[in-house]
Amino acid sequence: MDAMRMDEMRPDALKIENLTKHFSGFTLDNLNLTLPSGCIMGLIGENGAGKSTTIKLILNMLHKDSGSITILGRDNQEDLRLTKEDIGVVMDEVGIPECLNAKQVAKVMKHTFRNWKDDEYARLLAKLSIPDNKQFKDFSRGMKMKLGIAIAMSHDSKLLLLDEATSGLDPVVRDEVVEMFLDFTREENHSILISSHIVSDLEKLCDYVAFLHQGKLLLCEEKDRLLEEYCLLHCTQEELQEIPQEAVRYKKISAYGVEAMALRDALPAGLHTSPISIEELFVFMVKEAGKK
Amino acid sequence: MKGLLLKDWYMTRKYCRSYLFMAAIFIAMSFLVDGNLFFVLYPCLLCGMIPVNLLAYDERSHWVQYSETLPYTKAQLVTSKYLIGLFTQCAMLLMSGAAYAVKVGRGGNFQVKEFMMLLLMLFMASAVAPSISLPFIFKLGVEKGRIGYLVMVGIICALAVLGIGIFNKENLSQDILSAETLPILPICCLVIIGLYILSWRLSIAFYEKREVS
Repeated sequence: MDAMRMDEMRPDALKIENLTKHFSGFTLDNLNLTLPSGCIMGLIGENGAGKSTTIKLILNMLHKDSGSITILGRDNQEDLRLTKEDIGVVMDEVGIPECLNAKQVAKVMKHTFRNWKDDEYARLLAKLSIPDNKQFKDFSRGMKMKLGIAIAMSHDSKLLLLDEATSGLDPVVRDEVVEMFLDFTREENHSILISSHIVSDLEKLCDYVAFLHQGKLLLCEEKDRLLEEYCLLHCTQEELQEIPQEAVRYKKISAYGVEAMALRDALPAGLHTSPISIEELFVFMVKEAGKK
Repeated sequence: MKGLLLKDWYMTRKYCRSYLFMAAIFIAMSFLVDGNLFFVLYPCLLCGMIPVNLLAYDERSHWVQYSETLPYTKAQLVTSKYLIGLFTQCAMLLMSGAAYAVKVGRGGNFQVKEFMMLLLMLFMASAVAPSISLPFIFKLGVEKGRIGYLVMVGIICALAVLGIGIFNKENLSQDILSAETLPILPICCLVIIGLYILSWRLSIAFYEKREVS
């Protein structure tokens, strides 16, 4: 009962309401997202969909035109410096000065974050095989990302904002990093917002997925519910005529038959269906949005 | 802000060694050339550009974006650059001043008042460049800011040439420590300090409005 009450009292890790930002040629349009505390949300979108813009708006690096952003229960316009103590960020360009080595980075961060943990940082450097005396400019892209992740996870952060943080990592390290993120959210008040092109990573990681397309949110839903709700339908064109139109969200017709994204519950029994992946779901939804 | 200063200190040590080397050469030259303050003045002018160079490296390494994700205010990010600038300017000023003191001391011409005035002049020389350039850079970024700075320097030089013409001073550097100009130096120094503070406040105001994308 106490634990339930605690859950109810804990603020959402992130709440974005009616967020709008206009640039010439691009508008992030009326975005609404809620990341409950203790969860991982994947932000999926093609290049230029607005993923990085969203993360930059959260951190107030870009100034919103309208809407509100609440991070860990605090408005991002009010003393964001204090809120940033609880946020770990990895951007697609990590941003460490090129002449610094990992040891010097630790000294800088020790004077930057109140809760900097030298032991944790040393543990992560060892775990991710990051040399502590090599200059950042001599690191590979993957190594740079790993250092960014180690920093983000060494100051007792409660929210990780990761913008393409797994790109540039080889599959083995990526898997290791994904495990680290999963470990991170074992703590009930730890949450992650992650954007990535590698949808397979997000599929492994996320509790929630949000699809962004050309600055608009196509959907924000629990991953398991989505995978339950939708399926991949394989049928002939004749069979397709028999299916209620509202059951089929998008279809691809080829000489070999029809492949369609369909609502599982609305389909008549006896059709050939298979589970749909998040990547397939995203591609179908983007194409559906393109038709409108 | 200690973290920012430490990071800038590491970068200054790495990237600005050449300044120290150049300063050593110019200071050595000042011992060989009589009656010209250029060789003690130039290292101070040069070191005024250190904060600008650090900002250029920050932009190149994407630190400008990354620093926005760290628990610092924009005012702290700006102030750290002014502080590291002030620190390096003071260090260079002491080096150049000491060299000048040794040089004139050997000839038995050392005068405390004149020496203090020289220090003031060196401080002005080192503070004027960052005072003018940094607000442009914090507003527009390093590339565009440098253009703004060059335009501004062009205007100042044109005004200086005009001023020299009006006051009929052909060799300003030799005359600058003359009895007539000495009383003006503290006033000029106060003006430069005012300019430095104004520049710092302006940079904060510009940077707070700037979007870092």
